[in-house]
Amino acid sequence: MDDTAEGKLQGKAADDSEEASSSSASSAPGNMVHKKPVVIIVIGMAGSGKTTLMQRLVSHLSTSKSRGYVLNLDPAVMSLPFSANIDIRDTVNYKNVMKEYHLGPNGGILTSLNLFATKFDEVVGLVEARAADLDYVLVDTPGQIEIFTWSASGAIVIEAFASCFPTVVTYVVDTPRSVNPVTFMSNMLYACGILYKTRLPLLLAFNKVDVVKHQFAVEWMDDFEAFQAAVEGDSSYSSSLSRSLCLVLDEFYKNLSNAGVSAVTGEGIEDFFHQVDKCADEYMESYRPDLEKRKAEKAQVEAKRREANMARLQKDLDDSKGQNVVLSAPRRMEDGDEEDELDEEEEEEEDDDDDANGEEERGDEVFREIGGRL
Amino acid sequence: MRYAQLVIGPAGSGKSTYCTNVFEHCQSIGRTVHIVNLDPAADHFEYPVSVDIRELISLEDVMEELKLGPNGGLVYCMEYLEDNLDDWLSEQLEDYIEDDYLIFDCPGQIELYSHIPVLRTFVDQLKRWDFNVCAVYMTDSQFVSDVTKYISGCMASLSAMIQLELPHINVLTKVDLLPNKRDIDRFLDPDVRLLFDDLNAHMAPRFRKLNHALAELVDDYSMVNFIPLDIRNEESIQYLLSCVDNCIQYGEDLEPKLKDHEQDDADD
Repeated sequence: MDDTAEGKLQGKAADDSEEASSSSASSAPGNMVHKKPVVIIVIGMAGSGKTTLMQRLVSHLSTSKSRGYVLNLDPAVMSLPFSANIDIRDTVNYKNVMKEYHLGPNGGILTSLNLFATKFDEVVGLVEARAADLDYVLVDTPGQIEIFTWSASGAIVIEAFASCFPTVVTYVVDTPRSVNPVTFMSNMLYACGILYKTRLPLLLAFNKVDVVKHQFAVEWMDDFEAFQAAVEGDSSYSSSLSRSLCLVLDEFYKNLSNAGVSAVTGEGIEDFFHQVDKCADEYMESYRPDLEKRKAEKAQVEAKRREANMARLQKDLDDSKGQNVVLSAPRRMEDGDEEDELDEEEEEEEDDDDDANGEEERGDEVFREIGGRL
Repeated sequence: MRYAQLVIGPAGSGKSTYCTNVFEHCQSIGRTVHIVNLDPAADHFEYPVSVDIRELISLEDVMEELKLGPNGGLVYCMEYLEDNLDDWLSEQLEDYIEDDYLIFDCPGQIELYSHIPVLRTFVDQLKRWDFNVCAVYMTDSQFVSDVTKYISGCMASLSAMIQLELPHINVLTKVDLLPNKRDIDRFLDPDVRLLFDDLNAHMAPRFRKLNHALAELVDDYSMVNFIPLDIRNEESIQYLLSCVDNCIQYGEDLEPKLKDHEQDDADD
């Protein structure tokens, strides 16, 4: 009960602030270096509190008079505690997808996301149209982290945003669970994988600091020896492996910002946004040029492909001398024909089944019934 | 001593297909394996399921009755399994005696391997029951098309490795679907210098040190070496299976079962 009431309130608050901001667009602070909004993609393991964190971020945006735009990409979420501007559930019905394609829950989510990704340029277009009025774009992702990080559609979504706006990937860490050094290490390794996969600035959000302070994590990240001592005290792995893993992670931490937040109490949210801004600057400095380079490469490939196609077209035109050409593709059957053929096939099958003793009529009837239903 | 493979990997990486193919392969060479399904959300199998978690709990019921999403539901199911290891699972596994070979088909949620200690508890329990267990980690070869994705895959696998602390075999699935098989050759046995140069070319300059550390790590331990799996190729399955067997020392203490053969013949 509390949740829904709060959600409604926040929804209202968000609307209010939106109205307010659209009426006084000029008064917003806005970073001058990049006018476009900063996209924050929230990724995290199941149960790390992504959605609750989203709720907190949205409400913070509305109270601090920043203008946010909220996207929900989780088709399986039952009720959102915040109001989303774009919701994947408005476009794709995950339950229907599951039924229609005979998929399990996982496949259903993945297919829904794939379907949505095909239209993602429109989503980016919508955001772009409002870009001048926005400070932040918040993106919530499906709870199954591998669906977003290990799928083609996840890559499409991330790249679509990264090519238009400064984009920051936020990896939400369940702090109480990470007290165990081995869990912490495997979490960090996974985060490192995400960094390499997305090639975007990564911000670690240590969530639930109201339960366990994230001080220990910061200490581990700063002091390589302390972390190694903790790992060795807990794990039975050979010390040389844990040592080199720690070394790798030590390098990893240097490329990464972190913030301790509590989605429940709202602790550390200010700092979180501060870090996001820092990451956005980083994006402009070191990621953007790299991205431009990759984009240019892609454009070159595309141009070549186009050229080749154009040349082929030119050749075809020359060959046909501007006359109509009969394509070699098979002739598309007219609807009536197709049905007749099906009818015949069906009848034949029925014949076989029923030993062809006058049951033809029944078979026909059955088929007509099916046809009628279709 | 009993033997077990724990087949893990992200959703859609080909775990169940692998199980099916290993089962068929073993059938054709006259070896017995039993497949245990641990995915409460699975609904369609192409292999005979010997033990099924859905007899204990089904995701649909959990989602419906506890009003959980698919994710929370799955975590609940696995935690329920954890609570019932001693009652339900031990009872189910009682039928399998010395030298039996089990394959566990696990759910694809990566959280289970790196975040939630359920699978760890499960593995420890298996070890206590005198199982030799080996983790077989599946990665879709479509996702190692370039070096940064390869590193990303390595990290995901490593994160499962240190959480489970099992002998670990990495498999690159769906190799038969790759347009150019040469593309993955350089990842199967990576050379540290090539890897380093490749990474530098793909990442921003500030990652140089991290690239170096990662390339060294991959090289030093050769832990994340991948075995390609082409399910259409019987030899590829056989090779992978022999690697796994080697890992869990299956067959080393195996007594020749002459009697069984005679019995089989009589049955026939």
